[in-house]
Amino acid sequence: MTAPATSPDAAVRRPPARPAGHGRLTVGRASFLVHRRAAVVAALLAVLLAVVCLAYLCIGESFVAPSDALKVVLGQPSSQELVVGTLRLPRMVVGLLVGAAFGVAGALIQTVARNPLASPDIIGVTQGASALTVGSMTFGVTSYAVLPYLSVAGGLLAAGLVYLFAWRGGLHATRFVLIGIGFAVALRSVTQLFLTKGDYLVAQQAQVWMTGSLNGRGWAEAAPLGWALLVALPCVLWAARAQRTVSMDDDTATALGVRLGRTRLGLVAIGVVLASMATGAAGPVDFVALLAPQIARRLTRTAQIPLLSSALLGAGIVVFGDLLARKVFAPTELPVGVLTAAVGAPYLIWLIIRGHRTRSRAAGGQA
Amino acid sequence: MTETGESVVTDAGDGSPSRLTARDLTLAYDDRTVVDGLDLDVPQGAVTVVVGPNACGKSTLLRALGRLLRPRRGAVLLDGTDLARIPTKKIARSVGLLPQTPVAPEAITVGDLVARGRQPHQRWWQQWSDDDERAVAEAMERTDVAQLAERAVDELSGGQRQRVWIAMALAQETDLLLLDEPTTYLDIAHQVEVLDLVRQLNHDRGRTVVAVLHDLNQAARYADHLVAMKAGRIVAQGRPGEVVTAGLVQEVFGLEAVVVPDPVTGSPLVVPGRPWAGRSG
Repeated sequence: MTAPATSPDAAVRRPPARPAGHGRLTVGRASFLVHRRAAVVAALLAVLLAVVCLAYLCIGESFVAPSDALKVVLGQPSSQELVVGTLRLPRMVVGLLVGAAFGVAGALIQTVARNPLASPDIIGVTQGASALTVGSMTFGVTSYAVLPYLSVAGGLLAAGLVYLFAWRGGLHATRFVLIGIGFAVALRSVTQLFLTKGDYLVAQQAQVWMTGSLNGRGWAEAAPLGWALLVALPCVLWAARAQRTVSMDDDTATALGVRLGRTRLGLVAIGVVLASMATGAAGPVDFVALLAPQIARRLTRTAQIPLLSSALLGAGIVVFGDLLARKVFAPTELPVGVLTAAVGAPYLIWLIIRGHRTRSRAAGGQA
Repeated sequence: MTETGESVVTDAGDGSPSRLTARDLTLAYDDRTVVDGLDLDVPQGAVTVVVGPNACGKSTLLRALGRLLRPRRGAVLLDGTDLARIPTKKIARSVGLLPQTPVAPEAITVGDLVARGRQPHQRWWQQWSDDDERAVAEAMERTDVAQLAERAVDELSGGQRQRVWIAMALAQETDLLLLDEPTTYLDIAHQVEVLDLVRQLNHDRGRTVVAVLHDLNQAARYADHLVAMKAGRIVAQGRPGEVVTAGLVQEVFGLEAVVVPDPVTGSPLVVPGRPWAGRSG
């Protein structure tokens, strides 16, 4: 697979010096380093996700045979066209896109802050997106052609404010997270204010949206989000490489020729836009951006958070969560955000407790 | 297009032009001036050691030489061009820098960390070339960390970890290497090991090294060119044998000392005055 060494001492071949667990992929002069375990994990997650998706299409008020569901997906004529093609498939696609966007967004922002708590759903990004969206709804803007962009504006605005307030000649991760949490709470109150001020019917609609629900979502929500993800893909490929360098300390990274300021800003911007777009499509599905990257990293055991696995896990969590919310609590259609929150909140508490412990242990070690 | 081409640079040896120079360099944190109007020519192909009391600005100077700190006034020039006007990635192909306490990403393996030294030589479509592989293998061999390649950096001893970081800086394959107190936190055996390694790198490849050291005797032992700093200025510089005198130690460190020849190397050895021993002493 690799070209023979051209050095004169080729006879005394050294063992390959690539990092442990990595394989090399060469195409012409292009060469890539692939973490084997991460690749295997991503492949398995993709298979698992496919199974979950199939189950999603089959299970519901009425059961559809997997063969029929597949026929609809492949565009062949089927008697289940209405149930699968019109009701379940678009909703599932929104779930996939929302989950993937949250997963990647969480991975990027957590990487830059070097802190799992710095997730867009904790530090005010999704709350900012919600506040502006709900605010617009109460003022009569209900078109799904406009709302996603308002969400992005809200998310960017919130992130910008957090950044501004956390900046003290540099960005300290803990201060960033604390100020972010403060903004998240404040923005939630702003949203509540809009809800109480607004028209009753709109408020009710916004309330459901607020908990993060796929109920009644379809191609209208999927399209803008799909486009955004497609546009973001090359950015995410760039981010995957940039991630490697921002996980080191500032001086070392700069000495290696990394433009840290720009790289960090770029990574956070991609993360904020993705999280806000996802919020615009399905509301703030809580904790997906927090959970998916952390689980993904524990599975792949890589030095940085794996983007592909985070996306697959995020998608899986949202689709599986919606399936449970739809089926287990039938006939009530529970918003999927309630379910993810039920799983995510205990994890968040555990993270904070563990963070305290490791920090006090580190402090003890220094002394 | 550039004012000075790379043709100006010649091989190591006395009197060869220096690639890295500081001109009227003034460095400050907020409103506290740390280095004031300093001029320095880093001798090409030699080991330069900067010494001085705590807070004399030696580490600050090193950071500026490695463009980690923007000068308040004056400039650091690489081949005659202001560092501020050279793309950072291009600088990284000529100047490597190891900070005093670098932080490794959580749970990273030794091999992975050393490989990151190749960053400035890579592009998005060329993430692991044959050159990368060769450079990393050589760097790990040279620093004797090849057998640690699969271990996590967190679980290494201080001496091993320092060797791994040096391996990373070596994998960067730069002509100039800046080291900020590379022996901090190491016991004496590991200190000697690291400094010998630095010496050897300089000897075998003609690499220019600038190191900040705490220990004056180690500095005198390992430096070709010694720079003594006090309060943000260079007090004396030159060959250790000429620079290190009882007078200089008194002036720079405010310490009463006797300077004798080192019994092993003949370099100056600073022996501080008699320790306090009560009235009878």
